[in-house]
Amino acid sequence: MTFVIAMLVPLLFSILEFGSALERWLAQDAATVQAARYAGEIGGDGAEVRSLIANQLRSSGIDPATVSVEIVPARVGWREPVRVSVASEYRVAIPFLFTTTVPLRSAAISRGEVNR
Amino acid sequence: MSALRDDRASAAVTTVILLPILLVVLAGVLQLGALRVAGARVRAAADLATLVAVNDQDDAELARTGALRLAGDAADVAREYFARELELSAPLLAASPSEIAAAADIAAYPSAPAVDARTGARYDRPAVRLAADVPLRTPVFGALAFREVTTIGVLAVSSPR
Repeated sequence: MTFVIAMLVPLLFSILEFGSALERWLAQDAATVQAARYAGEIGGDGAEVRSLIANQLRSSGIDPATVSVEIVPARVGWREPVRVSVASEYRVAIPFLFTTTVPLRSAAISRGEVNR
Repeated sequence: MSALRDDRASAAVTTVILLPILLVVLAGVLQLGALRVAGARVRAAADLATLVAVNDQDDAELARTGALRLAGDAADVAREYFARELELSAPLLAASPSEIAAAADIAAYPSAPAVDARTGARYDRPAVRLAADVPLRTPVFGALAFREVTTIGVLAVSSPR
């Protein structure tokens, strides 16, 4: 019985853990796309964009404190591209096998809409 | 006691026999999940590309008539930004982002009303429509005797407000 459990439990946890990681990645991607659109609208980096990302992540069950956000360039002109990158790490723990962290990276590009 | 021992042995043997099948199922499930993420990324790329394209208006027409009309380069902008967005997910793609964007069917309808020749949809506002087939790497499916490349179709339409 121990042998059976030792084989089947890691399989079950692999599905659960990696499924959870993919769900988190999807949520992070969605927040990044929204943030890119908003960054283009307000002309680059700003407290509003970072607040939007934090709120979106929080609503998906992700702690914003564990996520790094980069908005390049910080100040974007009309019709110039602005890129938002969000990165985090997700800890995957499979009983009897291994524990590791999976890097989750999301990025999206929008275009500046502010005519300075 | 002997029957119980037989049952345990039988369960162990069954597990050993089923383990390869379960591992294959696990790999397939994980690949399916990765494909889901890649598909969502590609759809978001198409959405963002069309949104960016319709955000730029023909200023002269807007000043003259007050009507929204897309800028003349809307289709080119959509194609350029589709390629830029795909570039961010390049490791997931089975073709280069520029090739996929170049092959995408992008149509701009600068003024409304208009009827989409591809989908038959009627647009009551200016619109940009992007339709593309995006090949995605699915190496685990390939190893399991399925296709190494899975192509997904995306369709995105955006209008200014």
